[in-house]
Amino acid sequence: MALATPQSLTTSVLAAQTVEAVKVYGKGQAEACALNGISIGFAKGQFSAIMGPSGSGKSTLLHCLAGLDRLTSGKAYIGGTDLSNLDDRQLTLLRRDSIGFVFQAFNLVPTLTAKENILLPLLLASRSGDPAWIDHIVSTVGLAHRLSHRPDELSGGQQQRVAVARALASRPEVIFADEPTGNLDSRSGTQLLSFLRTAVDQLGQTIIMVTHDPVAASHADRAIFLNDGQVVDEIAQPTPRLVLDRMNDFGK
Amino acid sequence: MLRVAIKGILARKLRLAFTALAVVIGVAFMTGTLVLTDTINRTFDDLFATVYKGTDAVVRATGQFDAPQGMGAQRGRVPAWLLAKVERVPGAAEAEGDVLGYARIVARDGRPLGNPAYGAPTLGGSWSTVARLNPFTLVAGRPPQGLHEMVIDRKSARDGHLQTGDVTTVLTEAPPQKMRITGIVRFGSTDSPGGATVALFTLPVAQRLVAQPGMFDTISVVADKGVPQDVLASHIAKVLPAGYEAATGAQVVKETQSDVRKAMSFFTTFMVAFAVIALVVGGFIIFNTFSMTVAQRAREHALGASNRQVLGSVLLEAAAVGLVASAVGLGLGVGVAIGLKGLLAALGLAVPAGGVAFLPRAAAVSLLAGVGITVVPACSPARKASKVPPVAAMRDIVTGSSGYGSKERVAVGTVITCAGTSALLTGLFSGVPDKLAVVGPGALLVFFGVSVLGRSVSLPLSRFIGWPLPRLRGTTGQLARQNATRNPKRTAASASALMVGTGLVAFITIFASSTKASIDTTIDKSFTGDYIVASGAGLMGGLGPSLAGRLNRLPEVEVATGTRAGLVKVQGSVRRVLGLDAPAAFRLLDLRPLAGRPADLGANSIAVLEDVAEQDHLRLGSQVHVVFKDTGPRALRVAMIYGESQPAGDYVLGMAAYRANFAAGYDNEIFVKKSPAVSNTRALDAVNEVAAGYPGAKVLDRASYKAEQAKPVDQVLSLVYTLLGLTIVIALLGIANTLALSIFERTREIGVMRAVGMTRGQLRSSVRWESVMIALQGTVLGLAVGTFFGWALVRASAKQGIEQFSLPVADLAVIVALAALAGMVAAVLPGRRAAKLDVLKAVVTD
Ligand SMILES: Nc1ncnc2c1ncn2[C@@H]1O[C@H](COP(=O)(O)OP(=O)(O)O)[C@@H](O)[C@H]1O
Ligand SMILES: [Mg+2]
Repeated sequence: MALATPQSLTTSVLAAQTVEAVKVYGKGQAEACALNGISIGFAKGQFSAIMGPSGSGKSTLLHCLAGLDRLTSGKAYIGGTDLSNLDDRQLTLLRRDSIGFVFQAFNLVPTLTAKENILLPLLLASRSGDPAWIDHIVSTVGLAHRLSHRPDELSGGQQQRVAVARALASRPEVIFADEPTGNLDSRSGTQLLSFLRTAVDQLGQTIIMVTHDPVAASHADRAIFLNDGQVVDEIAQPTPRLVLDRMNDFGK
Repeated sequence: MLRVAIKGILARKLRLAFTALAVVIGVAFMTGTLVLTDTINRTFDDLFATVYKGTDAVVRATGQFDAPQGMGAQRGRVPAWLLAKVERVPGAAEAEGDVLGYARIVARDGRPLGNPAYGAPTLGGSWSTVARLNPFTLVAGRPPQGLHEMVIDRKSARDGHLQTGDVTTVLTEAPPQKMRITGIVRFGSTDSPGGATVALFTLPVAQRLVAQPGMFDTISVVADKGVPQDVLASHIAKVLPAGYEAATGAQVVKETQSDVRKAMSFFTTFMVAFAVIALVVGGFIIFNTFSMTVAQRAREHALGASNRQVLGSVLLEAAAVGLVASAVGLGLGVGVAIGLKGLLAALGLAVPAGGVAFLPRAAAVSLLAGVGITVVPACSPARKASKVPPVAAMRDIVTGSSGYGSKERVAVGTVITCAGTSALLTGLFSGVPDKLAVVGPGALLVFFGVSVLGRSVSLPLSRFIGWPLPRLRGTTGQLARQNATRNPKRTAASASALMVGTGLVAFITIFASSTKASIDTTIDKSFTGDYIVASGAGLMGGLGPSLAGRLNRLPEVEVATGTRAGLVKVQGSVRRVLGLDAPAAFRLLDLRPLAGRPADLGANSIAVLEDVAEQDHLRLGSQVHVVFKDTGPRALRVAMIYGESQPAGDYVLGMAAYRANFAAGYDNEIFVKKSPAVSNTRALDAVNEVAAGYPGAKVLDRASYKAEQAKPVDQVLSLVYTLLGLTIVIALLGIANTLALSIFERTREIGVMRAVGMTRGQLRSSVRWESVMIALQGTVLGLAVGTFFGWALVRASAKQGIEQFSLPVADLAVIVALAALAGMVAAVLPGRRAAKLDVLKAVVTD
């Protein structure tokens, strides 16, 4: 990954990117460096897994890239947009229009039906979206007969699929997922991962997913390893075996 | 347990502060009212005790009947020849006749001072030459001596820009008099007795102008050294003819003090009623806040606290909040008392200067009320919290409880509402002695019952109110609507607090509008003349009769006739009767005569309203027993029966009967009909020209007469609006509190929505519209209750001349619009807090 690549070149290929990203929490004695100068790019249409031990900075990286948190120094880009130049409103609109989220906890709005939750970003933008596209997503995630249900009437796996459908609904630049299978049983987890895979393969989505699970990581095109706020390794076309070996190496 | 309670309070500082504020306002109002009452009572008590210190006995006519509202015993006058007899009584050192009646001082700018119809009285009397008997002290100038001299009180001098040496007009029963002011006086330690205007003349002048020659109102007596008051009084009593009595000075002081208390009690009751309303509204908010916080508490207590501990800690917390809030309210109450004193002064009722009387009673009542209104509403949520399993409580927080509420709730709500309604209607329509004591609690019960039922109608009502929101405001509107409907119990409880305020506002608006409409109809129906000359006087005083005579002689005027008013006791109850110059007045006033002729209304006759005649089985020739203050009990013959109750009331006297029984001869209003040949402007000019010589006389045509009659209604209305505004502010605090708590509970989903693209503006907007929905729900319920109250009172007041029910649609629409606006204001702080929420924290932490 060439750090000095001029932006004009990278924007066309990269959906998201950080340059010398540093995130420091606290001040003075209590200072903790969560990101220690990470420069990394994520190509369009690619499914990336971010791995690493607990506390290595995975979530922090995701949040700073997704416009939910700000870097202490360095830059974060979504497409060609430098996030550090945006105010709260612009960041919000960017999240609405260009970013999709899937969190570990099923983050749905309890008063809205599954359908309304899926359409929420579009509704907030007063857009109706592309009905054919929405239908396609809904049938792909297998929620067609659950659309009028509220979140508390859905299983964990179904809720998480609603979250994925919501992330896809507005065809965002990137989808971020932070341990999306963390709260799911293995069958639902596998279903979700294969769905994410489908989104990348068939719908051309870009997905960046944080995970602990080597099997989950094996669904990605690429696994990036963090430790102490730095990128320490990367595997292309990871398999569970390869990932596990690499994780064991760090454990030593 | 105490520690847990204290910790609970500290953890919820802000929310509790909001809640406490509702209690603080109510308690401050209550304290203010009580302190003011005590202050007024004490200062007047002191005042009268001081100024009548030198009076040992008072000779007066025996009271004929007691008039309500602190007007005291109504009695006639004392013949002047009694003075010589009283002076010779053993033990009497000095005695003097006094006169006190109606007089109005005209200010430098030509306007008469005071507002006798609605404010303190305007008095004229005799200057006492016996220093010990004189309640007034000169602060400038000298006593009145000649026929054209007077002294006036310092307040009138100040308000009227008058000083010693000035010549000004005084209005009495006699034609307007020019008088030179020779001195300025004070009444004890105050500038004027209770804000009244006072003009004092020499005794003969006073007799001629404000009483009758040869008569006194009372004779005051000073005892010889060492003679006790009661001994003196009993000596005097022996020489008095029947119909006269001697009272001790102490007794007169006591009576005067009690009359002032009674006169003030209307104001006090009025203010206490508002304090109670404010406290009740505060109670709704307490209930709501504790309902919400105990659910959250249940989660905290899930680890190991027993049910009794939960119950105890919640109640302790409520008691502590109540105590602190009441203490603060108590302190602020003193400030409120000072403010109310200003309000009274603005109404023309001056309270003498002096310290504030802060008696233990006021403190005790306010503290009890404040703690009670906090602890009692907290009981039910506390009990529930100790019963409901924490897990269920938590689920309740997130999703809310949907549906319409239990059947029991509907039953209880219905029973309470029906009980309240029947108390209200009983109080209004049957002859219970203390109407307010039945109607007030009845109205409160109705509010309470409707608030219980409110939870069951909340859902459909919210859906209805919020129906246009998604159309108007898109997704934010839809979210607001869903949030307002997700916990109908809470929405209903928040709305209830506002319902009380808006309900009362709607009620008073409807009642006022009906009153004005009825006034207009009455005037249109009954008044067949062209102009009315109004005096601005109340029961006492008015226009000198010379004005009506002069108007009658104008060639531009076909007929002008004065109407008089007076208090009598008739068939056992005290009421105002109208005196009319029968044949002339019936050409200007259509009372719908049914039997008898106006010409028959002689000195021993009376006219009776049809309804009264029916009720008392009276017909032409029957006898009616009337007690007059001046002439005592009389039996009058029914000479006429009429059908129109307004403006005449139940009984009408012909001028002959009025003159025969009332010492005073003021015209309250003069009805004028112009000659048909003369143009309106010419006639009006002529009338105005004559009236100009009588300051205070207002010449009104039909339209301005209507407006004039509506004025006091509007004044009362704006006073009530101000006071109810307070309860509405409290209710808004409640809505803001509910919203803040809801937002706190919804932290997570707000985080989600912000994360997926809801802007701060959209979030604020959805909070705002949710608030508007709660406010409108309260307002709609309030309008329903208020309309019912208004309708009931209007129907019950038909006898008082309010015969028409008028629904002021435009005014009610304004109330709805203002409520919506108020909802927006209430949402400002909670909305800002929601917008400041840390999105990442909200989404990531669990
Ligand atoms: N809000 C915060 N305040 C202080 N330190 C934080 C905060 N969030 C994360 N950290 C610290 O930053 C480091 C990286 O955290 P995180 O990105 O959550 O790691 P991961 O997701 O890889 O487990 C950790 O040491 C963590 O303690
Ligand atoms: Mg993490």
